[in-house]
Amino acid sequence: MTHGTLSLLAQTGFPASMAQATLAHYVVVSLLMFVIGLIGFLTRRNLIIMFLCTELMFQAAGIALVAFGRFHLDYTGQTFVIFVLTVAAAEASMALALIVLLFRRKESLSAEDWQELKG
Amino acid sequence: MILFSLILIPLLFAALLALAPAAQARSLAFLGMLTSSAAAVLAMLRFDWNNGAVFANEKTFPWLGELGIQLSVGADSVSMLMIALTALLGPICVVASRTAVTERHRTFFGWLLVLQAAMYGVFIARDLILFYICFEFTLVPMFVLINVFGSTNRKHASVKFFLYTFTGSVIALAGLVYVAKFNAELPVSATRESLAAMMQAGGTPAPGPGVWTFDIETLGRAARRMSSTEQAWVLLALMVGFAVKVPLFPVHTWLPLAHTEAPTAGSVILAGVLLKLGTYGIFRFAIPFVPAAFAEYAPLIAQLCIVGILYGGLICWVQTDVKKLVAYSSVAHLGFCVLGLAATNATGLSGSILYMINHGLSTGALFLCIGMVYERYHTRSMKELGGLAAKMPVWSTFMIFFTMASVGLPGLNGFVSEFMCLLAAFQASSAWGSSTTMVEGAMDAGLWGSAGASTVGATHGGLGPWYAAIAGIGMIVAAMYLLLMVGRVVWGPLVEPHGHGGHGGHGGHGGHGGHGHDAHGAAAGDHHDDHADAHGPLPADLTAREIGVLAPLAILCVVLGVYPKPLLATLEGPVNQTVQLIDSARSMGLQLEAPAHTTSPAQGGAPTQGLAQ
Amino acid sequence: MHATSILSTWAGLLPAQHEAAGAAAQVAGAVDGPAIAALAPLLPLLSFVLCGLCAAFKVRSKLPAWITVACLAASFAAVVATTLDLREAGAGSVMVTPLFDWINYSWGTEAGQHFRANFAFHIDSLTCLWMLFVTGLATLIALYASEYMSHDVGMGYCRFFAAFSLFVFSMACLVMGDNLVLLYLGWEGVGLCSYLLIGYFYKKPSAVAAAKKAFIVNRIGDLFLALGIMLCWVHFGSVEYREIFARVGPSLELLREGKVDQIPGIVQLIPLLLMVGAFGKSAQLPLYVWLPDAMEGPTPVSALIHAATMVTAGVYLIARTYPLFLLSEYALPIVGWVGALTALLAATIGMAQFDIKRIMAYSTVSQLGYMFCGLAVLGSVGAAAHVFTHAFFKAMLFLSCGAVMHGFAGQLDLRKLSGVAFMKGWGVVGIAMFVGCLNLAGFPVITAGYWSKDMILGDAFATPGMQAIGWILLLTAGLTAYYTFRVFFRVFVGPKHFEPGDELHAHDDHGHGHDDGHGGHGHAAGHAPSHADFHPHAPGWAINLVLGILAIAAFAAIVPLMTGGDNGPWLASMVDGSSAKYLGVAASQAAHAAGHGDGHAHATFFGYDAHKAMMVVSGVVGFIGILIAYLLHYAGRTTAARSKADSLLPAFGPLATAAQHKWYVDEIYDLLIVKPLWVISNIFALIDKYVVDGLVDFLGWAPRAIGRSLRPSQGGELHGYAIGMAGGIAVLVLIVLLVTF
Repeated sequence: MTHGTLSLLAQTGFPASMAQATLAHYVVVSLLMFVIGLIGFLTRRNLIIMFLCTELMFQAAGIALVAFGRFHLDYTGQTFVIFVLTVAAAEASMALALIVLLFRRKESLSAEDWQELKG
Repeated sequence: MILFSLILIPLLFAALLALAPAAQARSLAFLGMLTSSAAAVLAMLRFDWNNGAVFANEKTFPWLGELGIQLSVGADSVSMLMIALTALLGPICVVASRTAVTERHRTFFGWLLVLQAAMYGVFIARDLILFYICFEFTLVPMFVLINVFGSTNRKHASVKFFLYTFTGSVIALAGLVYVAKFNAELPVSATRESLAAMMQAGGTPAPGPGVWTFDIETLGRAARRMSSTEQAWVLLALMVGFAVKVPLFPVHTWLPLAHTEAPTAGSVILAGVLLKLGTYGIFRFAIPFVPAAFAEYAPLIAQLCIVGILYGGLICWVQTDVKKLVAYSSVAHLGFCVLGLAATNATGLSGSILYMINHGLSTGALFLCIGMVYERYHTRSMKELGGLAAKMPVWSTFMIFFTMASVGLPGLNGFVSEFMCLLAAFQASSAWGSSTTMVEGAMDAGLWGSAGASTVGATHGGLGPWYAAIAGIGMIVAAMYLLLMVGRVVWGPLVEPHGHGGHGGHGGHGGHGGHGHDAHGAAAGDHHDDHADAHGPLPADLTAREIGVLAPLAILCVVLGVYPKPLLATLEGPVNQTVQLIDSARSMGLQLEAPAHTTSPAQGGAPTQGLAQ
Repeated sequence: MHATSILSTWAGLLPAQHEAAGAAAQVAGAVDGPAIAALAPLLPLLSFVLCGLCAAFKVRSKLPAWITVACLAASFAAVVATTLDLREAGAGSVMVTPLFDWINYSWGTEAGQHFRANFAFHIDSLTCLWMLFVTGLATLIALYASEYMSHDVGMGYCRFFAAFSLFVFSMACLVMGDNLVLLYLGWEGVGLCSYLLIGYFYKKPSAVAAAKKAFIVNRIGDLFLALGIMLCWVHFGSVEYREIFARVGPSLELLREGKVDQIPGIVQLIPLLLMVGAFGKSAQLPLYVWLPDAMEGPTPVSALIHAATMVTAGVYLIARTYPLFLLSEYALPIVGWVGALTALLAATIGMAQFDIKRIMAYSTVSQLGYMFCGLAVLGSVGAAAHVFTHAFFKAMLFLSCGAVMHGFAGQLDLRKLSGVAFMKGWGVVGIAMFVGCLNLAGFPVITAGYWSKDMILGDAFATPGMQAIGWILLLTAGLTAYYTFRVFFRVFVGPKHFEPGDELHAHDDHGHGHDDGHGGHGHAAGHAPSHADFHPHAPGWAINLVLGILAIAAFAAIVPLMTGGDNGPWLASMVDGSSAKYLGVAASQAAHAAGHGDGHAHATFFGYDAHKAMMVVSGVVGFIGILIAYLLHYAGRTTAARSKADSLLPAFGPLATAAQHKWYVDEIYDLLIVKPLWVISNIFALIDKYVVDGLVDFLGWAPRAIGRSLRPSQGGELHGYAIGMAGGIAVLVLIVLLVTF
């Protein structure tokens, strides 16, 4: 199969065969990851776990971006993901540092202990 | 350039004042006011009063060229008269605040100077955005003056004043911007290249497709080409903004509050000049921009005025706070002023512009008088004050004088304008019929009110004798409440607030220890003589400084009442021009339903293109 | 009221066409007046300024009085000079002295696109007549006041004479102005001075209230006057008399041709509006209530402003704009009926009062009613004559009362004074009072008041349709004679007795309701309030001199009334030479013609010529009035407090009480107008606070309230926000899906 046919097939969105991963596969994976992250975020009270869940959702979005970028043969998506990764790394260090600070204040990692934004 | 200096000088002095020591603030402010007033006088000397309609001393600096916004100034006789009023009241306010303001001199006088600059700016602006900036910027100094230097309820009053008038102005801005957008979309014959060349050369960008300008003259011409629906909406937007400022019933409630709480100088400026920004705005924008719509809705506006005149007047009558009484009287008085505008004839417009000046003089002076009493007695309640004529004969003379000017006594300034406004409303009726000669009218005349009744002095308009008659009741009501005030405060048995009594043989009233600011403790020994009420540095009756503050206003009241001729003469130019606009709009009819230009959907993006260039 | 028929009848009385046209042309083509005429108003103005300066420099002498007297005398001289100039110019001529432009602007070059109301003085014989007695009396009364006000030398003295001078200036503007707007200036100017002078004793709440009332009631009239002026301008395109009269022509023509119904309604409305203004200023029903209260002012003020001059401004206005009044079907009949009813009402109130100054005030109201009737029955000469004679004798009556008040510490109650004329030093006052009373009562033949009243009565009975007014006036004449001499017999003759008033000085400024001690008022110290020590102080030379002059003048007023040159009596020729003439001439001519058997449209008094009959009848009626007063209040009276009349009072029952309470008119006005207005105003104030402003506050409050209600949703819990967010996204997705599929 030539490169041309491949991309053509990929654009149809239908798997050529079961062995080959198509856009749908990526999107489903991304979706699952996002939902897992979301559920984790909503159900857990531990700040670190919650943070990890947000990371999970981030990465889910990243997968989707890369997949769509590849699908549209547009590198913007991948470029964007690189940015997101970079920012996420910085953000992760910031967030973890904050969580450590919060833990030091109350000796607890429960999100329910912090309600300072109550209106 | 002379007009620019009107804005720059006060600003410059305000900046100097911020750096100078507080002790020098007052004298520096006075110097600044005098300098700017001198500049105003210079501008007046250079003005050709015989051609009042011509905008003189025009000067334009490019500013935000790509948006068509310029620093463009100029003044016709209407502007010049308003500038004269501003230039008069500014220094007077500084002098009047000499003893009234006891702390934070730099803040007070600095903002007073900024206010002065902004007010000048409103009257000289020939660019819509410059006008609007100045118009809005008057709010900031006034807000500070009320908020910091006002009396007990000052916080509430200042916030209400700011938000209320600001809201109105924003709506007016929307209307003005709509006109600018309309103008930008008008087709013009000039080619794009020539426009670009002009702009590169620093010239005025001519209006055209997508090219924006805020030049008032140009926009006025463009606005008159709008369809009647558009005109009506623009009028509504403008009137909302200006009516709040005037203030017309029912958007007047910020005024009594702001006036009552403001320091004396603030009240004087507020009544003297700031309220006139609204009427000036109507004269300068609402009428020339949308004359057809204004003429159509004039009866409605006049009805609001009349309600304001009677309603405001009757409310005055039951006030116990002197300052609030005078504040409400402004609602009534400005009702007459706008009634003159709504009459849309020469008498009304001239009368209205005169009214702006006269009201500034007489009501400003009344606020000064009340402020002088407040400084001495620290109350404005008519229950606690009475019969001050016995204590303060000079003050009482001035008070009665300005009251009479305010009542509209002929021979004083108020009468001329009030009479003209009423006369204008009276004659402005289409019901008067069209026969122009007396004999013709007499021959085909029927009964009262029938068409064909002869009328030499009548003009077109939607008002009529009933408007004048009902508004005229306001003259009676004005006499009722103002004389009630005089009868209580000036005349009658002497009543002084507790702690201030002690005329004659009443000893033992405890002196003045209760007043913290009275630094006269050492001189307490002479506190039991006739001047027991000499309060702080102030004697019982007016000082020479205070007389000096009131005397120029009094003299002007008489001069303008007896010889308004020069003013009337110089106003003929701009007024007649405006009346012609209205009349031609009226004669063309209001059936301009079809828009004067066509905007196809393809042209929708035109303004953004213009901006991109 | 058969207005139309009356009007048609009048049309028949109109002078021949050429005469009217000639008059109109004459009026239009005015010549430049003498410059000296301008001095008549300007000198009082100068005096005002000088008195003001005296106040500013705290002059503590009688200087302001002498300044005022000198300026007013000079002003009088200027008027005399002007009158002589006018006489040289010939009968019926009109001169205009322009001073400077006032309200003057244009909005085009065509005719009618111009408003002009200048400071210019219209000088014709009516102006001169009015100015002569205004400035003449003002001079005399200023002289009187120099003594009368002497206890107030200082600030108050300056204030008094400044306002006094300003009044004369305003009155001069009113009378001499060549346009209605300048008349309006004078009109309100005299109102202001009246206000300032009524409130002269400003510490007295009653004086303050009276001053306020006078100004406001006058303002009601002023509004109508202003509307009349506006209508005049809209219709005639001018407010200047010359122009207006020149343009009245077509309507006058219609009237003459009997096409009354073709006169434009507007033209008919103008006089109706002007008339209400006149009612306000001249204290007629329903606006008369301010005048009796105005007696709170110093007596010279009452004499000059509220008896002799200002209150006759309404008469002047109607006389001045007489041609306009003739064009209206209703104006003059209304004027007549209002005048007659006012005359009667005021006379009945005057009969029942005890305050002699108030009695005089009501008599003024009543006599003004006469003057209006005179105008209404086409006797403008009679009206003017009555204004003229009334000015002298009523001023004198007031000044005599004032002298009593001055001498007896403010005592004005006729039950507490008796036999004053026979006390030492009070002779001149007694004589003056007697002369004044004779005039007011219309004592036959020898008094000027008799002749002027007679003219009005005669005209009333001679005019068809107006006899009813004549009868009312005749009845009023009897009542007038009674109450006038009631005062005289009670106060000035009879047993000597007095109780001083409650004021140490009649006009001292301590009329405070509360007694806060007078120690603070230096000038009051030294006067012991004990009645036992009280000695009435007899009037000094100035008061006696003025009263003497006026007493002579009151008789001498017969001379101009009855004698004159070729054009009839001097006073009649003065009125006829002016705009008040048109019908005045016709009426009197017709009246004379009636005597020659013409008889056209002429009423008679039981077959006799009305004028001649009235000479007898009104004399008899006046005599009877005096006689009743004599019997009830003099004959057999031994004390000051009681007379025979008291025993008659119960016979009148509630009527007497009601009359004493001024028929409760003040109370009715208070209940029907003032109180409701006060309530409405308070309601408005509440509406403004809670509805109009409440709405604004609501707009400010609403966002805050919404925020406050949404506040609980911000629980501060991370999971709450997260669930909200997730739920929100879910909803959005759902919407997108639903929309898409």
